[in-house]
Amino acid sequence: MAANQAQGRYLTLFLAALTVLCAGIAYFSSGIGKLVGLVGVVGLVAALAGFSSIKGGEGKTPQRGGASGLKATGAILAAAGWILVLVGIQIVTTTGGRIVLGLLGIGVSLYGITSVLPAAYNKNASWKG
Amino acid sequence: MTVFRTGLLRCALLGVGLTMAAALSAQQAPPAAPPAAAPAPAAAPSPTTLELKAAQGKAPSSADLQKGDPAGTITGTISDVPVADTSVGLTVPDVATQVGQNKIAINFVWTLITGFLVMFMQAGFAMVESGLCRVKNANHTYMMNFVVYGCGLFAYWVLGFAIQMGGAAGNGNLGGLASLTPEFSIPFFGKTWGLFGQSGIFLAGHTYDVGVMVIFLFEMVFMDTALTIVTGACAERWKFVTFCVSSVLMGALTYPLFGNWAWGGGWLSQLGTNLGLGKGYCDFAGSGVVHAVGGITALAVSLIIGARIGKFNRDGSSNAIIGHDISAVMIGCFILAFGWFGFNPGSTLGASANGNLRIGSIAVNTMLAGCTGTFGAMLYMWMTKGKPDASMAGNGLLAGLVAITAPSGFVNPTGSAIIGLVAGVLVCLSVVFVENNMKVDDPVGAISVHGTCGLWGVLSVGLFADGTSNYGGSWNGVSGSVTGLFYGDASQLAAQLVGISTLLGFVFTFSYVLNVVLDAFLGQRVSAESELAGLDLPEMGQLGYPEFVFRSEPEFLTGALRSAAVA
Repeated sequence: MAANQAQGRYLTLFLAALTVLCAGIAYFSSGIGKLVGLVGVVGLVAALAGFSSIKGGEGKTPQRGGASGLKATGAILAAAGWILVLVGIQIVTTTGGRIVLGLLGIGVSLYGITSVLPAAYNKNASWKG
Repeated sequence: MTVFRTGLLRCALLGVGLTMAAALSAQQAPPAAPPAAAPAPAAAPSPTTLELKAAQGKAPSSADLQKGDPAGTITGTISDVPVADTSVGLTVPDVATQVGQNKIAINFVWTLITGFLVMFMQAGFAMVESGLCRVKNANHTYMMNFVVYGCGLFAYWVLGFAIQMGGAAGNGNLGGLASLTPEFSIPFFGKTWGLFGQSGIFLAGHTYDVGVMVIFLFEMVFMDTALTIVTGACAERWKFVTFCVSSVLMGALTYPLFGNWAWGGGWLSQLGTNLGLGKGYCDFAGSGVVHAVGGITALAVSLIIGARIGKFNRDGSSNAIIGHDISAVMIGCFILAFGWFGFNPGSTLGASANGNLRIGSIAVNTMLAGCTGTFGAMLYMWMTKGKPDASMAGNGLLAGLVAITAPSGFVNPTGSAIIGLVAGVLVCLSVVFVENNMKVDDPVGAISVHGTCGLWGVLSVGLFADGTSNYGGSWNGVSGSVTGLFYGDASQLAAQLVGISTLLGFVFTFSYVLNVVLDAFLGQRVSAESELAGLDLPEMGQLGYPEFVFRSEPEFLTGALRSAAVA
């Protein structure tokens, strides 16, 4: 089963709830704004729950799970390279030092993105049989 | 005696009457006015006022205008300048006010027209992506590129614009945008750093403003370009409802956050004022903000979604899955190149004052980079594979255009040509790396064109910016002109590296986590059954080309791999 009416209903609920939530954010300083925002959040949660309830009936995909730890490691490395740069440029004051730091941080992030994460996803890839 | 008394009485009465009349007359008469002073001499009109009046006198009369003006020599004169006080007539303040209006009007028109060109690029993306996909997915691919416009516009209106530009007051080109305030900022290591804007949700209240409308339209079409990039990398297997939700969230959160940091007064733009890193992170038209954000998000979703069935063999070698319409690809590339004349030159946000006459240079830089990008890719493929590959030549054009987007306002034509040439070769290398080393399936090369070459564009600002531009004497609050390493400022390179690190470390991680969550709740990928049948019928309910007779797909796409995919 592919696209269906239930998907349409939950997408409508998602979009409406997001609109209500943003209205709540816009008027957050008032009591009514907080209430409206809460209604929006409830609507979003309901939409996600609805999507989740129909997901199982939409057919089996070629995706295979696993290697969660390696996937998390890859994402953490990607972010860690950025954090290294964010903090490092505050501590290192020379231009040359900041350039080196930037390259180092980029290298760490790229290792996580182009090496660790693909390895995690390819470990159980469907094309491996 | 009686006669005497009568006469005396008559005289008395007469006297009383005369006295009363005199008194009455004295009451009615106005007090005597003091002698009139001599009138003060009128102030002499200034020479400028006299000139204005003389010029008004010489302006074409109604009778002249009624004869028609085929040459256009008497239409648009001093008579068209609005006068604040008709009793006084035309004054210098009237003229000055009109000059100010003209400046803002020129800039409004320029920004809007170029924004319309960028909007039209959606058609180019649709044709390129669908042309590079198989015919059984044509409807689905076109629909993603069509609906992404609505998803992005909706998300930007309800939240994204406020986050990105809600604190961006101060743009003199568009009248100041004073209502776009405040920016939410935090202290960090003793300095204040902007994180996101706080005005503009639904464009309501004090952001219902003529200048804000212009900047909203212009920034929105840029945002939508980033969103549509992801559809190319995930084509032929992305579940349509998840694409909708993912695109809305990208337009509401991912793109606006980085966009605020670079263009909305956020911390990346403050690297110059706070840490002395050049002019802060500089990205003239969005190699980073638009293209790298799109390409990097495309990589994140492609990793999650996995390769198409039949793309890779058991030994890891890849199979070429040929697109169904190369003519759509080529025409789509030209539409994109045309739209890029709005993308880059339009990013001055004006054609009057503040160095905006550089729009011609920016347009030529854009053309040159596209040209050398095409040659770079086409010649590389010709020398290495033996044929001038059409789809890679198209991607080379796009790679050059993507790469020049950030430096277009800061470099000279020679620098532009070099940047484009490098991008053209880089995109070919990147496509091979992404497919053969990372084993990530990207049907249209979006990750390489926009991600890799977008990062190259950001870097090239720090190398090739030549220090000759002058957009009002400063950039990001730092006086002077943007200058790169090759022209004497290494600190600009450092600022660009911080931007690249943010793209990789924040944008990728944020997009990855967001889409992992969506995968858990919605599922990113269609079923294997739908994918093998083609997404047009299962997802869209209609074939893209219902009168075509489809031929069977190659064995490698439908054979043993089918069983592996559904095992």
